[in-house]
Amino acid sequence: MELIPILSTIILVATISTFILAIGAYILYKIRESKGQQVSAPVPSTIRAELLTPAEMQMEMQQPEQKIAPQPIYIEPQPVPVYQQRPVYVQQPLQQRAPMGPQYVAQPRQYAEAGYGDPKSYQQSKGDSKFLKYTSEGYVTPAKEEKTSGALKWK
Amino acid sequence: MNINQEIKRSTLLLDNREAIVSETDKEGKYLKRIFISGLMSLLLIFVIIFTLPSTVLSVKSLVEYATIVSLVIFLFVLLIRYFTILLLAYLYINQYTFKSTTGFYPFVSIIVPVYNEDKVVADSVKSLLDLNYSNYEIIVVNDGSTDKTKEVAEQLVGYQKGRYSDVKVSLIDKPNGGKSKALNAGIRYSKAEIVLCMDGDSQLSPDSVRLAVRHFVNPEIGAVAGNVKVMNRGKFYTDLQALEYIEGLNMARSAQSFTRLVNIIPGPLGLFRKKAVEEAGFYSSDTFAEDADLTLKILANGWKIYYEPNSISYTEAPEKLHQLLKQRYRWTRGILQSIRKHRNIMVNPTINFGDTIILWTMFYEALIWPVMNIMANVFFMVAALAFGFTSLIFFWWAGLALLDLITALYCIAVEKEEFRLVWYAIVYRMFFILVIDICKAMSTVEEFLGIKMAWGKLERVGVAKA
Repeated sequence: MELIPILSTIILVATISTFILAIGAYILYKIRESKGQQVSAPVPSTIRAELLTPAEMQMEMQQPEQKIAPQPIYIEPQPVPVYQQRPVYVQQPLQQRAPMGPQYVAQPRQYAEAGYGDPKSYQQSKGDSKFLKYTSEGYVTPAKEEKTSGALKWK
Repeated sequence: MNINQEIKRSTLLLDNREAIVSETDKEGKYLKRIFISGLMSLLLIFVIIFTLPSTVLSVKSLVEYATIVSLVIFLFVLLIRYFTILLLAYLYINQYTFKSTTGFYPFVSIIVPVYNEDKVVADSVKSLLDLNYSNYEIIVVNDGSTDKTKEVAEQLVGYQKGRYSDVKVSLIDKPNGGKSKALNAGIRYSKAEIVLCMDGDSQLSPDSVRLAVRHFVNPEIGAVAGNVKVMNRGKFYTDLQALEYIEGLNMARSAQSFTRLVNIIPGPLGLFRKKAVEEAGFYSSDTFAEDADLTLKILANGWKIYYEPNSISYTEAPEKLHQLLKQRYRWTRGILQSIRKHRNIMVNPTINFGDTIILWTMFYEALIWPVMNIMANVFFMVAALAFGFTSLIFFWWAGLALLDLITALYCIAVEKEEFRLVWYAIVYRMFFILVIDICKAMSTVEEFLGIKMAWGKLERVGVAKA
């Protein structure tokens, strides 16, 4: 049997049931409500109410101008600005932050402190291989292979 | 913990007058009106039946064409309604997201009207003491409770330890007169520029006041509506209502807030500029939807009303069907009473154009839309039972359920709500909305007949915990 006729029948039965339920529930609700009907009494133009307040508040009420401070007393903290143009500033703590200026970024010592190493030694080691080979004797610098030797290598 | 336990008792003389619409022979008047309308309709039907053969159309083709045209109109209205609300709500959320906060924190009086709320009043006040705000006081108004509410509330009076400062808690104990009069007593007693009105069984989120008051920095804003969420979830009806609050009420409120014309400030959380309430003549007792009535009066005076989605109030929703029907019966009749009360604005857009639009929207949502939904369901039932078009009702349900699922998904994502509520969208339209719409239609008939009604009081089970 196809799915749509089954689902259609389910929806149809559900809709009819909902109709009957809604109308029935409404009638029952009205019967329930009609049992609890009360006759409303005439209301006076003024009524007396009792006011309970802390003692100090009563004193303040005599001087209403002192009761409320209309000026704002809670100020939301402003967000701390983050300098995203120079990432080196963001990584540093707020207290250690040096005054902004172009010479700050260009100083070689700052690179050394940041762990980049001395620029001279960096230039000297430029010719070395970036990668080490792991052998049974530890890490060794791999020897340059003759690519034109013609020997067949299996990997 | 009380800092100062010395309590002073004094007597207040409260204004108890109320504007009541004349009830003289109201039922008779409406019955006469309905009888005449019925006769006129019958006459029109006879004219159509007798003159139809002389035209090119037959009765059968007229019925067919009328059905097709009605369905197309219904689908068109449904889609326009959905997508307009979605678009405006989306625009509002975008606008809201990029809005900066202000340093405006005025003194606020929180008015807590209570009637037979002895199980929850202490928790409500405790939740208020945990607010992320320092400049406020709490005024509990006991509206002649017959249980131990007064005794419980008396224990709370004094200077209570708040999150940032000591908070003054006062109690006004008055004879029973209804929620509107209890709120009026609190507002009149308050000396604050901004008053927050809530329900006795509701609990506010810590940021609710801080986030809502910032909108009052704009002098045009007369009130701010809060976001109401269902507290007692986990049951079939309360979960469906939780989805309804998110999808049906809050999304519509977001859409209205884009134009600063929120039509109902919910009872569980509403902040008002006291000047706006005074200009509007306070809450009235002549309707059963005092919040809708006051909102319309504030809008009519030219004030703008905003909605703050992060200002949250948790409230207890009805757990049983008869309680739910009682609530919706009161809401529907109250809204219709409010619309009728402001009908001069409805028919005359020169008084306040925004208010006119809002009133027509309310009229559509309260009366036209429920009737359209019921009629569509009746049509599909008749088509299935009498003509064998059973698959029509399935496609109808599938289309609506898909629309509801997408809307629910969007609303739940925006409000960062529980994802499990999305699945209730499958039964939302065919069961929940149908039950509510039938109740609305019945209530509307009763309202037009002028049948007297009384305030329904939801029995609290005391699930509220601070």
